[in-house]
Amino acid sequence: MNEPLNVLIVEDEALLAMELEGLVEEAGHKVVGWATSSDEACTMVDQADADLAFVDIHLNDGPTGVRVADYIRERHGSMVVFMTANPKRIPEHFAGAIGVMAKPYTMNGLLTALRYLYEGVRRPPPTTTLPAGFTLSPTYSRQWARV
Amino acid sequence: MDWKPTRESADAWHMTDDLHAEHGKGDPFAAAMRATRMSMLITDPRRPDNPIVFANDAFLRLTGYERAEIMGRNCRFLQGPDTDRDDIARVREAVSAANDISIDLLNYRKDGTQFWNALYISPVTNERGDLLFFFASQLDVSDRKRSEHQMSADKDRFEQAVRERTKELETALEAKTTLLHEVDHRVKNNLQMIASLILMQMRTVEDRQIRESLGSILERIEALSTVHRRLYQSDDVSSFDVADFARDLVADLLTVSGRGSIEARYDLEPAVVPATQATPVALVVNELVTNVLKHAFREGADGEIAGHIGISTRRPDGHLEIEVSDDGVGMINGSSNNSFGLRLVRSLARQLRAEIQWQDAAPGTRVRIRMPVAEQQTHTKVEGGK
Repeated sequence: MNEPLNVLIVEDEALLAMELEGLVEEAGHKVVGWATSSDEACTMVDQADADLAFVDIHLNDGPTGVRVADYIRERHGSMVVFMTANPKRIPEHFAGAIGVMAKPYTMNGLLTALRYLYEGVRRPPPTTTLPAGFTLSPTYSRQWARV
Repeated sequence: MDWKPTRESADAWHMTDDLHAEHGKGDPFAAAMRATRMSMLITDPRRPDNPIVFANDAFLRLTGYERAEIMGRNCRFLQGPDTDRDDIARVREAVSAANDISIDLLNYRKDGTQFWNALYISPVTNERGDLLFFFASQLDVSDRKRSEHQMSADKDRFEQAVRERTKELETALEAKTTLLHEVDHRVKNNLQMIASLILMQMRTVEDRQIRESLGSILERIEALSTVHRRLYQSDDVSSFDVADFARDLVADLLTVSGRGSIEARYDLEPAVVPATQATPVALVVNELVTNVLKHAFREGADGEIAGHIGISTRRPDGHLEIEVSDDGVGMINGSSNNSFGLRLVRSLARQLRAEIQWQDAAPGTRVRIRMPVAEQQTHTKVEGGK
């Protein structure tokens, strides 16, 4: 794959992180780190140069995912996608994140999302179909809206 | 009785005085005033400090004073420390403006006990309009006031009880809502983890048949997950749109590499069913669609699998109709390696009391399902399609 993405996984459930890592690598991208808490996540983004971060809202140290997203965006300008079973908990402004992948997602849904996000990061706006279960933030849905 | 400002001659009350000895003789009105059980008095505003110039026996009985103690005095001796100052001011205003007034005053008897006095004061003028007297009547309304207070206290107590109960219920509801969200969250995470375990296991398996079996399990679990996600993502957890589910399912399955040349033809009308029917319906749709994608089409000369899959939903009165069709090689009665899927569909159809028909569509196959939908409020559309 040309210019594979460097992906950071912020997820407190080991099984979900493992699966996500497997799918990201299967799609030809690189996982640069896996964090289970907000502190760990912030340290990791400072060290690794991630293009994209998958961030669970609820982490080891509580519902700190939104704070992580804020930090990543302010310090590094990386793109964040929330992964959560409770999308209603995401603030309306999405903390600048691209959107949310609602759990439980399907394997195909996630692979499609990866393809969509790859285009979004490398040559926006993406042209593939928005996968089921993936919701764009209001800001990105204006920027990436397909006519 | 209707006491209005009346016009009397200047010495009207002296006339009554003349009749002091014999009740009911001469001036029957004066006799009536003396004898009535209604407390009454007359004051003379032309004398200094508007003193009492007449009081009947009922007034004396009501207030506990002797006649000699009150004659010539202003009425304010009836007031006491708890009498409302604003009420007193209103009486004073009415008297100084020579208006009539009706008001409930807290008054005091000679022995210091309180009573509620429904006071009525009316000015009496002569034919030239000069103010001659004030006529006043008093009525003890302590009982009425007590019951008013009682009612007001009862009302306050009742409202307080309602407020407390409402708060209890709100707290209980909040706790239940939190619990529901927590359970929902766990169910979703667990479904995701089950899918993760199957997927990761699948990737380590060499044997193609085992891998396909695990893949089928994964698809079924994912169908359940999608039902759960859709139900709890919408604001209405009691109903489920089969059309939205079918569209997502087909789109999701077609994104898999190698199925790129299979085209979907959607003919979907909103088809809302109650949540209780959502899972079995979703599993049936999943089986039919995955079966078409796996078995209906053969590789063409170019190695590509090509064809069309059609899916339609209808919701005629009291029923749900689903049709899954393809233009492939035909799959009448299914192949042997799909027998579990077929059994699953037949059993779920029994559960749903659905009629299911496999038809030769030449080319391909058409599966029709028609089932009764459980009675519930029918929402036309849960959320907009894409």
